[in-house]
Amino acid sequence: MNNPIIRTEKLTKVYDSGYRTVALQQVDLQIPKGSLSCIMGPSGHGKSTLLHLIGGLDRPSSGKVFLDDVELTAVTADRLTEIRARKLGFVFQFFNLLPVLTALENVQVAMMLAGISKREQEERAAELLKLVGLEDKLRARPNQLSGGQRQRVAIARALANDPEILLMDEPSGNLDSRSEAELLEQIGKVNAQGKTVVIVTHSEKVAEMAQQIIYIRDGQLVLGKEIKEQLTMGERV
Amino acid sequence: MNYFKLTWKNITRRKSRFFFTLSAIAVGIASLVTLLSLGSGLETEIRKQADVLGANLVVTPRGWCAYEQISVLTGETLPEAIPNADVEKIAALEGLTAFPYLTQRTALKNQPVPLIGILPTAMKQFKNWQIDQGRYVLDKANVVVGSGIAKQFELASGDLLRVRGQEFSISGILQEVGNRDDLAIYMDFATAQKLYAVGDKVSFIAVKVDDITRIDHYILQIQEVANVEVSSDKQLLKSVLAIVGSVGSALKLVAAVAILAAFFGIVNTMMTAIYERRREIGILQAIGAKKRTIFSLFLCESACYGLLGGIVGVVVGFVFSWFAAPYIGQNEFTAFLGSEQSVQLFNAGITLKALVFSVLVSALAGVYPARQACKLSPVEAISYE
Repeated sequence: MNNPIIRTEKLTKVYDSGYRTVALQQVDLQIPKGSLSCIMGPSGHGKSTLLHLIGGLDRPSSGKVFLDDVELTAVTADRLTEIRARKLGFVFQFFNLLPVLTALENVQVAMMLAGISKREQEERAAELLKLVGLEDKLRARPNQLSGGQRQRVAIARALANDPEILLMDEPSGNLDSRSEAELLEQIGKVNAQGKTVVIVTHSEKVAEMAQQIIYIRDGQLVLGKEIKEQLTMGERV
Repeated sequence: MNYFKLTWKNITRRKSRFFFTLSAIAVGIASLVTLLSLGSGLETEIRKQADVLGANLVVTPRGWCAYEQISVLTGETLPEAIPNADVEKIAALEGLTAFPYLTQRTALKNQPVPLIGILPTAMKQFKNWQIDQGRYVLDKANVVVGSGIAKQFELASGDLLRVRGQEFSISGILQEVGNRDDLAIYMDFATAQKLYAVGDKVSFIAVKVDDITRIDHYILQIQEVANVEVSSDKQLLKSVLAIVGSVGSALKLVAAVAILAAFFGIVNTMMTAIYERRREIGILQAIGAKKRTIFSLFLCESACYGLLGGIVGVVVGFVFSWFAAPYIGQNEFTAFLGSEQSVQLFNAGITLKALVFSVLVSALAGVYPARQACKLSPVEAISYE
């Protein structure tokens, strides 16, 4: 395995709001730099929780997350936000875009938060939307775009600050097969540029693209024979 | 994209909510501006009238209340209470000149008009009045009229007036002086006393002193020769302004209630906005917005309501006070608000105060909702359905 860009050590997440739920348990994981990895498993078994923890959106109950040797679990909230802004890009399944902004402005917002000048924002946002094939939709609002187009805008936004890692939570979960194919093409392009991509998905088509598949059940990584029975390709963890 | 644009797009996303929240703060600020504007107009006019009186000392009967003190400045009808004998004693004192006033009221075309009994020659010199039409003759058969009254009732020199059943000729019209002196009929002092059957009494005495540095000495001297109250023009002004100020404070309290209601309106609007936009808050946090950025964004939205509502409120407040002044001026207590220049259509000081106040109140209303927004964890916000 290449040098890992993301590493977790005994990562555990327990939700305890009256009813104790172990969402993740002792997860040790390594994601190689430049790889395209998929996190798969049944609904409610901890896939999104794992993505949120390695993306610094949430804090674990115990264990550690490393991003390029920086221990995310040990930095302050502000530092974590800076890391998210510069090193990570996120794409979610639903409600990914700010509804009051145009496609161009949605991409610009990420750069605005990183303190990039307005002129540079405009130029780069237009370039990124062109890259995802939406150069004719710069002024369109999210409600004027199809589901697939919205996810492509979200990818453009995720790439706005040229992050090393793209984290996607069910990006094709809400798309028809044609839109999913378009989205996969974009994801392939991004990965080909050397960016590390981690995708939480149920989609076999997405999984087919992955160099690594991480399978989670009951908050734990599934290893060995069990996973071989369920998956047909890719490097298994 | 910049923070202001994002703020603007967020507050205007729901037009009706934006309109009603803005209206609430605008009504509060408009009521405040109206009261400040009318109050400031009243104060300006009181100061002006104090200058018009031109006296260093005002001699009034003992025990007069605040309303009567104000009436000295406004020229309203006053009871006659100081005997001529006291006027003569005061006038005989060295180093001062006394000008007795008998303030009464008559009617022209069924409308009340102030009628003031004066010593004609002394008063003309004291006030430096000039004649616009006719001659300056005040006696048993002649009166002079202020320019404002002449204009309002279309009077000219030579016209006849009937006061208490007796006919008088208007000998002359005074030149406009731009104050309440324009708004009265002037009659010879003794004739007025007889006509109104007030015996040998006057309403009050204005006193001009030769040496302003010895004002306390003159007060003592006057009080030695007559059983009267003596106030300096400054004391009188101060006491009248204090009364007007206390009335103004009570009215400002009413405006404060309106603003308090707007305050809670903004809190409610912002809380609703945060509730609706939880996922957006999560997305912003995910793509790099720090907690203080989220806090600032919502605080700016709230302050924006204050700025825009404040601007609308200031405009409405000034326009309203401009049109309301003549109606409010029909009350005797605030009579001089009816005069033309007493209420300004724009006052930079009031505008600045109202806008700063509006922005501060609205920003304050946004603190709690903004804190709630920035306390959301990204995952909690994103996972919200």
